[in-house]
Amino acid sequence: MDPILQHQLQLTRRQFFGNTGLRLGGLALAMMSAKFPGGSALGAVQKQRVHPPLPGFPHFAPKAKNLIYLHMNGGPSQLDLWDYKPGLEAHFDKDLPASVRMGQRITTMTSGQGRLPVAPSMFKFSQAGKSGRWVSELLKHHAEVVDEIALVKTVHTNAINHDPACTFVMTGSEIPGKASLGSWLSYGLGSENNDLPSFVVLTPSWSAKAAAQALFTRMWNSGFLPTKHTGVALRSGGDPVLYLKNPPGVSPSDRRAMLDSLNKLNHLEYQRVGDPEIQTRISQYEMAFRMQSSVPDLVDLKSESKATIEMYGSDVTKPGTYAASALLARRMVERGVRCVQILHRGWDQHGDLPKEIRAQCMDVDQATAALIKDLKQRGLLDQTLVVWGGEFGRTVYSQGKLTHEDYGRDHHPLNFCMWMAGGGIKGGISYGETDDFSYNVVENPVHINDLNATILQCLGIDHSRFTFKSQGLDQRLTGVEQANVVKALLA
Amino acid sequence: MLMSSWLKFSSVVLLYSAGCLILWGIPEAKAANTVAFNRDIRPILSDNCFACHGFDSKKRKAGLRLDLAEGAFATNKEGVVAIKAGKPEQSELWKRLLSTDKDEQMPPPESHKKLEPAQKELIRRWIAEGAPYQKHWAFEPISQPVVPTVAGPKAAVQNPVDRFIRARLKLEGLKSSPEADRATLIRRVSFDLTGLPPTPAELDQFQSDKAPDAYERMVQRYMDSPRYGEHMAKYWLDVARYADTHGMHLDNERQMWAYRDWVVSAYNTNLPFSDFTKYQLAGDLLPNPTPEQLIATGFNRCNVTTGEGGAIDAEFIFRYAVERTATTVQAWMGLTAGCAVCHDHKFDPISHREFYSLYAFFHSSADPAMDGNTLRTAPMLQLKTPENEKRLAEFDKEIAATEAAFTSALSSVVYSDPASLNPPPMPRDEEVVWVEDAPPTGWKTTGTPNFAPAEGGKVFSGKSALRRQGAGVIQDVFETDTPSLVIPQNGKLFAYLFLDPANPPAAVMLQFNTDSWEHRAVWGDAEAIQWGEKDKPSRFVQGGLPKTGEWVRLELDIAQVGLKPGDKLKGLAYTQHGGTVFWDKAGVAGRVDPANDPMNSFTVWTKQYDGKEPQEVPENLRKIFKDTASTNRSPDQITLLRTHFLTKVCLSTKPVFDPLNGALAEIKKKRNEYYEAVPQTFIWRDLETPRESFVMKRGAYDKPGEKVTRNVPAIFPPLANTNNPTRLDLAEWLLSPENPLTARVTVNRFWQQFFGTGLVKTADDFGSQGQPPSHPELLDWLASTFRDSGWNMKTLVKLLVNSSTYRQDSRIAPLLLARDPENRLYARGPRFRLDAEEIRDNALFVGGLMDMSMGGRGFRTYQPPNIWEPVAYTGSNTREYKQDTGGALYRRSVYAFFKRTAPPPFMTTFDAPNREQFCTRRERSNTPLQALQLMNDVQHFEAARALAGRMISEGGSTAKERLLFAYKAVLSRAPSSRELSILTSTLDQHLTRYAADPEAAKESIAFGDSKPPEKANPGELAAYTLMANLILNLDETVNRN
Repeated sequence: MDPILQHQLQLTRRQFFGNTGLRLGGLALAMMSAKFPGGSALGAVQKQRVHPPLPGFPHFAPKAKNLIYLHMNGGPSQLDLWDYKPGLEAHFDKDLPASVRMGQRITTMTSGQGRLPVAPSMFKFSQAGKSGRWVSELLKHHAEVVDEIALVKTVHTNAINHDPACTFVMTGSEIPGKASLGSWLSYGLGSENNDLPSFVVLTPSWSAKAAAQALFTRMWNSGFLPTKHTGVALRSGGDPVLYLKNPPGVSPSDRRAMLDSLNKLNHLEYQRVGDPEIQTRISQYEMAFRMQSSVPDLVDLKSESKATIEMYGSDVTKPGTYAASALLARRMVERGVRCVQILHRGWDQHGDLPKEIRAQCMDVDQATAALIKDLKQRGLLDQTLVVWGGEFGRTVYSQGKLTHEDYGRDHHPLNFCMWMAGGGIKGGISYGETDDFSYNVVENPVHINDLNATILQCLGIDHSRFTFKSQGLDQRLTGVEQANVVKALLA
Repeated sequence: MLMSSWLKFSSVVLLYSAGCLILWGIPEAKAANTVAFNRDIRPILSDNCFACHGFDSKKRKAGLRLDLAEGAFATNKEGVVAIKAGKPEQSELWKRLLSTDKDEQMPPPESHKKLEPAQKELIRRWIAEGAPYQKHWAFEPISQPVVPTVAGPKAAVQNPVDRFIRARLKLEGLKSSPEADRATLIRRVSFDLTGLPPTPAELDQFQSDKAPDAYERMVQRYMDSPRYGEHMAKYWLDVARYADTHGMHLDNERQMWAYRDWVVSAYNTNLPFSDFTKYQLAGDLLPNPTPEQLIATGFNRCNVTTGEGGAIDAEFIFRYAVERTATTVQAWMGLTAGCAVCHDHKFDPISHREFYSLYAFFHSSADPAMDGNTLRTAPMLQLKTPENEKRLAEFDKEIAATEAAFTSALSSVVYSDPASLNPPPMPRDEEVVWVEDAPPTGWKTTGTPNFAPAEGGKVFSGKSALRRQGAGVIQDVFETDTPSLVIPQNGKLFAYLFLDPANPPAAVMLQFNTDSWEHRAVWGDAEAIQWGEKDKPSRFVQGGLPKTGEWVRLELDIAQVGLKPGDKLKGLAYTQHGGTVFWDKAGVAGRVDPANDPMNSFTVWTKQYDGKEPQEVPENLRKIFKDTASTNRSPDQITLLRTHFLTKVCLSTKPVFDPLNGALAEIKKKRNEYYEAVPQTFIWRDLETPRESFVMKRGAYDKPGEKVTRNVPAIFPPLANTNNPTRLDLAEWLLSPENPLTARVTVNRFWQQFFGTGLVKTADDFGSQGQPPSHPELLDWLASTFRDSGWNMKTLVKLLVNSSTYRQDSRIAPLLLARDPENRLYARGPRFRLDAEEIRDNALFVGGLMDMSMGGRGFRTYQPPNIWEPVAYTGSNTREYKQDTGGALYRRSVYAFFKRTAPPPFMTTFDAPNREQFCTRRERSNTPLQALQLMNDVQHFEAARALAGRMISEGGSTAKERLLFAYKAVLSRAPSSRELSILTSTLDQHLTRYAADPEAAKESIAFGDSKPPEKANPGELAAYTLMANLILNLDETVNRN
């Protein structure tokens, strides 16, 4: 008989006859071992979760079940997208007043510049939505969903360079080695899907100049948490998940036949040795086999309607684009993947900003708005938290040549814009105010740690109680200092 | 860990409330009749109280300190005493623990901390018993405990390790397991000492060795193998956070693999741990340090560094020093000093100030804040071999000989300055040749220009012509940063070329650079080469394509391409669109007035530079021109100028010196290339003037506070030398007999390596937040024995591996599993999953593919596309992964190239750390991604095919023999009859399947770079390959039992 068919029959039979002594024993032992890793023996009766939550999690009823984090890597300019400063035109090419800079540190890329001339945004802003939010012409699709969005204009960070700032925004620390946000969620909440990883990462292509800032795998690494919580990169070239495909000349039936014997032999070893880890391994091989069909099914967009494809834009059919990634993100939360993170590179506009940021917005504007609309029309937006933002913002003064149509901007950690939408978030609001130069926070600062605390809150987690002991410390995503949930953002 | 702290509480609950002895998590000693502070009380206080009532003076609430007896027993201003010895009911601490008043109760509700009833009871009993305090156990001096006597046969008690373990087991009413069988033992030892499985021959030898010391000699054989150092090194390389890239931002390659190789050799030569320590922390401070001692100082250059534009130097100098301090303290002292970067340590007695006193030892490193994204960030050590020395000496000899020829030519050359002749010579037309058989002396070229000699092609003059052939726009470019060739009056630029009639180009172009490259002339299709603007000097159309099949002189006026007399030539390019072209002899013809021409007259040449700083002459000459008026120059100075003029500038002496210049430049270039190819490695050196160090307020790099000097924390014995102590003093202090930590931390790491978990489970934290040792006396006995043995690492390893505790069978009886799930009492042998390196190496080894060459630059094995590319900075030199070929693909994993921001998946999937920071203990996870990798990764599947090939060619002729062969090679045992029947029926299934589909069989056996045996029957080999793939995926295969 065909090994796959045989395997399916067996699964059905097991479910019908209930648990066997073997599995009961294995499960009981595994639980006693205190190392119970989640997987049970093959095909258990009750639906065993492959990625179970920690006991006591979530801490309280969550508003959002899943997170989609849209990371705009490089530091998008808040001045050209969200933080509308009409008064700057009058300051064109004038020096940034010392009373605004207040001697705060700037990078060595502009600290040697003779002067710091103010560069107003060349882009038009107009009001959108019922909320009348000011939105740049670069984000005309965002304008359509602006009433779903809570814009935070006063996010600030500790780091002024890419590497530490990226590490900070994703792990709550500038120093490598801590756990990433997605890993924390996977660790605490597990995932509902038994056939896909609980935390998935996408790194799409981008359209600004090829020389973009780097990403670091530590941005989705589990750090001190168990390594199984590291984000799994869903790849656009080659196997979508590493080593997913059978070697050439090996069919799924061959693999099934091999696995059937492997399981039998491993089971014999379990009987001989009694190590519950063997049971876990058997179940992990089964999950691997299931992934061999569930992942190709996930990335196959054939079942999407024409209307959906059109909504995300023509790029969506090109694998590896941001639009394709956004659609995949929806497909994943639909399947219960806990955290999806899209890291879109190319937002580091030190020079030639107008041209480059336009290209970057072409990549993300339509697809991001489509993602929100799509989630909403499927009733998923209520249970999905969507977060958008970079690792820092950009300066009001120009780096390099300044004309009305051409300028560049340096890194600016003191205030930048991020937005949140979906489960748990009050749409159509704007939070925090910056000064006339978008250089300092005047009202309601939101530190990265506060933002992360708020994200956890939406997902039903009290950040102050979400700890992991490592290196003698109760490690937290939100750090040692007091962090605060931004209540005003919550619905 | 959350789980384990929960278990820790449970253990207390079970131990004391139920009064039974079921063990969870850390086993508690049975004979716990009295409460011991360190064992029972400190963990409770540390978890719940010390954050506000501990060592950190800034965070201390109500002035109360509970980590010291003096603090706890003191009466405060209100007359309240936290702990009144013997009197719980009069102790404020006890009252607060019981209180239900939200304002009174401790720990306060907002801390989310809560004591279990059993914990409260422990506190009460402790106070009632007089509240005796102890120093934290790890800070007490290392004791020399008496080895317990236990009865039993020699087999059960091989050495003192077993006496400690058995004494404890007896106390718990448990029995040890019998010795494992020999096959299991040799596989366990072989993996633990070399990271590789035993060969079938080694297995046979050991199984037939009837001598009583067969086991010990087997251990010794593996320990003597060079594979031992390779395997042991990986644990230390995790601690040292060694990798092959800088780790931040560009994450470019860095060259310091010599450090990795040094670690391998240190284990192989059994360097005492004392020297191992001193060399790494202070090898540069030893008298006349050897290269090895300097290479070892790379330990604290292994940290991640940045070269990111815009980064602030002071911030990174600070960060590197903090990281190096924290890593050193963790590696040798097992303490988490990093906490004290920002504030006093909350749990351990390292103050904020004391941290910076340690930091001061590491704060004066001579390496820069910005690593420059280069392969070699100074200070570096060049790793010259005797062969290198010899070759360099030969180069120097050749250079000396050429220079001698130069000197002799100079002394015999005839030159009279035309400006000094009376009457001066008449102006004349002259050709100056720029390119003949080589680019102008000292000029750079793009690529290697193909100057083909006369025998191989067409030549117009000299010995060779430049041949270029190809499609599209192709060219040879010659450039210089120090221009000296001058465009003359009425100049005509020229070049000779020969167009191959069989393959003519569409167009040819000459390009010149003085201020820019916008000076071009084209012959032929004027649109074929699009640079510049047509009919302008930037693309002057000089005529049709020259006649093919003969030498043609191209010529043009300098004005046509926008050049002026006096312009200096910075670049020249021969460009063509397609075709085959021979280029020869290019230069400029013009009217030369020798008496007024700087390239003919020494006087004219010097005069133009007087008082100036001409970039085109060497530094020393520039200084003469600028500083010394022509009338004041000494004869020596004039000789210097004249020599330069005659050898490098003067046209009339050019025929004499050009060949010599060329020869000298060539040999110097070769020497330089050779010199640069000699590997180097990162080493530590201090700045000439040490940096001043300060307490950095709140850990901010730009907020220096009080100045500090080098010292060690006060809780420990003092430094022997306190007068401006050095890193060497610090290393000596770590190794001093009084130091309570170094030996304990080190033996614990070894114990963890061989038994899966350390005696102190938190191997990276010996502070009060860490777990206390499961066997404190054994830990101290091992530590003192190790220290007193002269820090002999191989002796220590033998002590562990030869113990009968280690040799036990690892089978887990259900009751024992329930009683001691983590095997912290060692009533059974250790069984755990192999590490990433071992899993890959094992597959290659049993497949017979492994290449055992040692050392050198990291090799690049199979890696799927899109591991580096999607994350790397576009300009990074570790963006495009170029896989090695041939034997390098199959080298041992310890030598694999490790890029920190995107490490190799074969490592990370199996829990290797990303080497961005110190790691003393790898996790052992069990995931579906591991299953996918072992089944489908080309290197595992190829290894399976290689093993299948061996099964067929070496195993015998029957299926059974071949399966037995594979089991012996992989598992060191024979399959049971039940296993054999499963295997055989699976094999039959695969054989039938591939017999029916030979194409699939051929595809499957062609996977991987190595070739399947030519004679193989594809169907059979494919079926056996799947069997080998199955065997390599067995749980037993990836575990060492």
